[in-house]
Formats: sequence, structure tokens, C-alpha cells
Amino acid sequence: MVNVPKKYLDEVLPNCWYNIVPDLPRPLPPPMDPPEASSRIELLKRILPRELLKQEFTVERFVKIPDEVREKYEVLGRPTPLYRARALENLLDAPIKIFFKFEGALPSGSHKVNTAVAQAFYAHAEGVGHVTTETGAGQWGAAVALASALYNLRATIFMVRASYDQKPGRRALMEFYGAEVVPSPSRLTRTGVEVLTKNPEHPGSLGVAISEAIEYALDNDFRYVMGSVLNAVLMHQSVIGLEAMRQLEVMGEEPDVLVACVGGGSNFGGFAYPFIGLKKRKMEFVAAGAAEVPKFSRGEYKYDFPDAEGVLPMLKMITLGRDFVPPPIYSGGLRYHGLAPSLSLLVASGVVKWVEYGEREVLEAARIFAKTQGIIPAPESAHAIRAIIDLARRAKDNGGRKVIIFNLSGHGLLDIENYREMMTKYRGP
Amino acid sequence: MKLLVAYFTVGYPTESKFVELLREAESCGVDAVELGIPPKFAKYDGPLIRRSYERARKVSANCWGLLREARKILGIPMIVLAYLDDYSEAFDDFLNRLCEVGADSLLLPDLLIDYVDSFEEYLEKTRDVGLTIFTNPSMPDKLIAKISPLSKLFLYYGLRPATGTSIPVDVVALVRRARQLVKNRLVVGFGLSPNDVVKVLKNGADGIAVGSLLIRAIEEGGIEEVSRVLKELRGVVDGV
Ligand SMILES: Cc1ncc(COP(=O)(O)O)c(C=O)c1O
Repeated sequence: MVNVPKKYLDEVLPNCWYNIVPDLPRPLPPPMDPPEASSRIELLKRILPRELLKQEFTVERFVKIPDEVREKYEVLGRPTPLYRARALENLLDAPIKIFFKFEGALPSGSHKVNTAVAQAFYAHAEGVGHVTTETGAGQWGAAVALASALYNLRATIFMVRASYDQKPGRRALMEFYGAEVVPSPSRLTRTGVEVLTKNPEHPGSLGVAISEAIEYALDNDFRYVMGSVLNAVLMHQSVIGLEAMRQLEVMGEEPDVLVACVGGGSNFGGFAYPFIGLKKRKMEFVAAGAAEVPKFSRGEYKYDFPDAEGVLPMLKMITLGRDFVPPPIYSGGLRYHGLAPSLSLLVASGVVKWVEYGEREVLEAARIFAKTQGIIPAPESAHAIRAIIDLARRAKDNGGRKVIIFNLSGHGLLDIENYREMMTKYRGP
Repeated sequence: MKLLVAYFTVGYPTESKFVELLREAESCGVDAVELGIPPKFAKYDGPLIRRSYERARKVSANCWGLLREARKILGIPMIVLAYLDDYSEAFDDFLNRLCEVGADSLLLPDLLIDYVDSFEEYLEKTRDVGLTIFTNPSMPDKLIAKISPLSKLFLYYGLRPATGTSIPVDVVALVRRARQLVKNRLVVGFGLSPNDVVKVLKNGADGIAVGSLLIRAIEEGGIEEVSRVLKELRGVVDGV
């Protein structure tokens, strides 16, 4: 492993993003066109901003963050704080120190805006005035709405109809930033019309929403922005880990264990990859997933489509299959069938360990955190907190002091109604 | 002198034209040819080369015969390209046939992607015929540095995620990264446009490989067009 050149870490907010691909333990299988079909790889040129594609396939260890993007990172409050969770430590009473990086401090409420800003900038820089995307629970949609506002872009966000109806708060947030929010399936695309013809009451799904957003971008020569999975997206998120590394250094701490929750893998990758790729020290890396979306325990490592319709190129990844329909859990951001190829590779080669938790355990962890540290975590992020609690219990049994750090990828203030429903649902007997 | 490597699909566009193409390539100053055996599934190839495989499969079932023929007429090195996926079962037979037809080296595009754990084993097995190793930017620096000296003739470095696609990449950054890692001869390919060629060579590559460009030339203007393209490339390569 290489040392981080000092110029990249001079200030807490880095000048460069970090790409782990050159430092992976094995070659990363490339994207693949499906047999007997038109080239999905070629089609990417009409879907994604050119500069994003260039980043995706120009594998460089460090990529300079454009000044226009770094400036927006500062506007949004980067670097985000790194806290020590002393009250949680006291409650757990284990021989560990717990730190967390707080991405929920960003205005749209989660880490997602780190890549939304970069992608919106690249669309803007090539003269595209309009972007599209999909959103389930709304975290990603809110990030895109905010990023688009920053660069004066129009944004059309296809929101899964069930969420559109049930989560007026997130919808209002996106609209407040100026985005157009469309319930999916919609009548704006062929995919939507087809789905609605079969079932006018269709509640929508992330798969259909992605397909609608891509189709709408292709038809109108807009650009589609992607919330996770791409190497370039994980690279943009590396600001989280690079900042944390510097912040820990300033505090004189060296982590032993790093934990983050996993949907497509972007906050995990962004947080942990700089430590995995750039540090010589022996550390443990734990990815926390949802038991209801059991990609780690039941998924297969194989080529599959990242989207339900199969418009994008196939990727070698841990996947439950693109037809997998996740149950309606509250952690909308974890309801994804696949996993970023680089993280899939690291899991398959044993560098990253995993845990999966069910909703009941996650709710308990979220409440423990709220009652000790005061912050209401996003339900997604609460999966990481659950893992921390378990690690603390184990440390107590095994002895030995440990420094544990996790990424609190988002706050859960806009999920508070969901938490209330969860409290009713999981009330003890 | 910098190298010009040309790729052809065995039996494409027809058996006789394939042989003619090779003759023409050598006379246009090509330094080595890669000859692709149509695989069951060309996983890491783009649309053009996939199409050439389909067509070749239709017009010819005589792959080994054509390779024997190619050997007879070629004075330059002949590298056979095949997907390991098709031959991993009966690999020894496959190697025997390669030696029989007189191949100078073997290139397996999926070796370091799908069979990386068995790399040493395949390297040992292919000791006689030799292995021209295929790498790409998604491979770890350490791996590229370690295996490149083991590669016969040169190390092949593919710039894009699949052959023949025009995905935008920063050619300069990619070639510079590879150049730092590769001490032996570095030949760069995959979707090279005429524009890329100069950048690739100016930034340290020892040669270029073209494939889809030639398939397109065959589709559009037959052997004459291929000859024109190769002569022009030879000029560019020698001029850098
Ligand atoms: C707060 C939060 N954390 C985590 C995730 C999971 O996605 P990823 O694994 O790409 O970070 C999401 C996705 O929407 C999210 O909103």
C-alpha cells in the first residue's frame, strides 16, 4: 500500500478524491455488454455526463476535485464533524472508544450530496441544463435537488409512488429546492405507461423509477445522475474517509475497526476505502446490511444488471438478482439488489466483513443512539450503530482496548414518522 | 522502433479474405498479428468484434486449418487470442494444437480477470508457447508490475472497458500510469481512435494494437481500405 502524499491531506477537506481501484487486492472485472444485445457500454455516453464517464474508466489513484465543486463542499459545510460518542461509550461500558463521522450534518441530510454536487457540476459544465434521477425514500432525490439548485439546473426526480404518497415531507423538501417530483410509474415515459396499463394502481419500485429516469434523459438529451454503485460515485464519496483520516490524525487516534451501512455501497466505500487502500495498519472493516435485503448472506457474486430493466451494462457484483423485490422496510436506501463491484470484490476476497440486521434490532439501536447522543440517525445508518453495539459487547467479553469508528451517513429527522410506525409495529408483547 | 500490432478474427470476413488480409498486413509493415478464435461468448469485446466472431463462425469451421495457413504465409510473430473460458477444460489439447500450428504466443483476455487465482498455473502450462499477458486499468498496480516482465513479446494494456467502444477516457493519464509499472515493452489497445494513437505513443507506450478499427475498415472498404489504414498508422507510429 502507498502512503498518502501529504499534499492530499494538508487540510481537512482534501484537494483530491481517492480511487481504490489501483490498490485493490485483485483485478476489478470490467463492465460487460450482455450477450446478443446492443452495446450498453456505448449507450452510457448518452446517459451520463461525459466527465463522469471519463472518471469511471480513467483509473487514477488521486483525482483533483474541481475548484467549483470544492467550493460547494465548503458551502454545504464540509468538512463534516467527527465526534466521539462518549455517552454511548458510557452506556455500553466496554473497553472501546467510539468515533463517528456525521454526514447527517449536510443540509440535505445525508452523504448523498457529495456525489450529487460533482455530477451536477459535470452536467452543468458540458452545457446540459436538466438532469434526471430516481428516488425511493427521498435521500438521494433531496441531494440531487439541492445540487441542481446550486448549479441552476432543472431536475426531474422520479419518486417511487408509494413513497410519494407516504412521505410528503421529503417530496416537499425536493420541491422546495426547485426540483420537479414525479410519482413513478408516470405517464412521462414508455416504461411508466406500460406499467400503468397493466396495473393502474402500481405502487412503483426503485427498478421502474430508475428505468423511467434513464428513458426520460435519453429521450430529451438530459443527463441521468447516479446515486451509488459506480466507481466514480464511490470516489466522490471518498471525501468522507479522507477527512476522517485527517481528523483522527489530529486527535492522535488510530482506528482498529471501521463500520458503515450498505445499500449500493457508496457511503461505505467513501468512508472506508481510503483506510483500506492507503493505510498499512491492520484494521477490521465491517459492512452492515439489512437482513430483509440479504445480499451478503444469500446473494451471488456474478454479472448482473444494476437496473431492473437492463438498460445499463452488466457489472460483476454481489447481487440478489435484478428481479429481487425487497420487502417494504423503512430503510429505503438499503433496498437495492446489488452492490458496487469494488465492494463486492473486497467482500468476496475477505477484506471486508459483513453483518445483517433486521428492522427490530435496528430500531432498538437507533433509539439507544438518540437517547444517548441526541442525534436521530437515518434508519439506514442505524444498521451501523447496531453493529457498533455488538462489537462493544464482544470487546467486553474478549478484553483488549479498541478504537472503533463508524459513518453516520444521514440523520433521521425526516424519518421520524416512520420511526413512530416502527415503534408501534415492534412494541413488545 | 515502435510497434504496430494488428488484430484479425480468424475466418473473417471469409476464409480466403482472412488469409489475404494477413498477407496485406505484413506487407504494410505490421510488426505482429493477433488472431482471435471466435469464442462461445466474447465477454470483454465490444459490438464490432462480437459481430466479426458471429460472422466468422458462420463462414468457417476451419479455425485450426486457417491458423496453419496463416503461419505458412507470415514472417512476423503470430499471437493467438482465445478466451480461456472455452479451453480451461481441455487446456493441454489446446496447447498442443497451438504448438502444432506454430503460434508464437497466446493471449487470454479473461485470464487475469476470471482466473487470476490460477495465473501461476497457467503461466507454467503455457511455458512452451509463451503468454502475452493482457492487462487493463482496473488491475491493481502491484499486479501489473509483478506480471509484466513475464509477458512474451510485450505486455498488452487495454484502455477501455471493452474493445471498440468510444468511451471517453483520459488516455494520457492511463498510459502514464501503466508506463511507470511496466519495464518491458508496453503495447496499448482497445478502442483506439486515430486521435488516441499519437497520445498513446508520446506518453511512453512502445506500440499500439488496433482491432475494431480494422474490422470497421473491412466492413466499409474491404482489403484496400485495411491497407490504407495500416499504411497510415505505420506512418504515424514511425513519425512519433
Ligand atoms: C442515509 C443513507 N445511508 C446509506 C444509504 C445507502 O446507500 P449507499 O450504500 O450507496 O451509501 C442511503 C441510501 O439512500 C442513505 O440515504
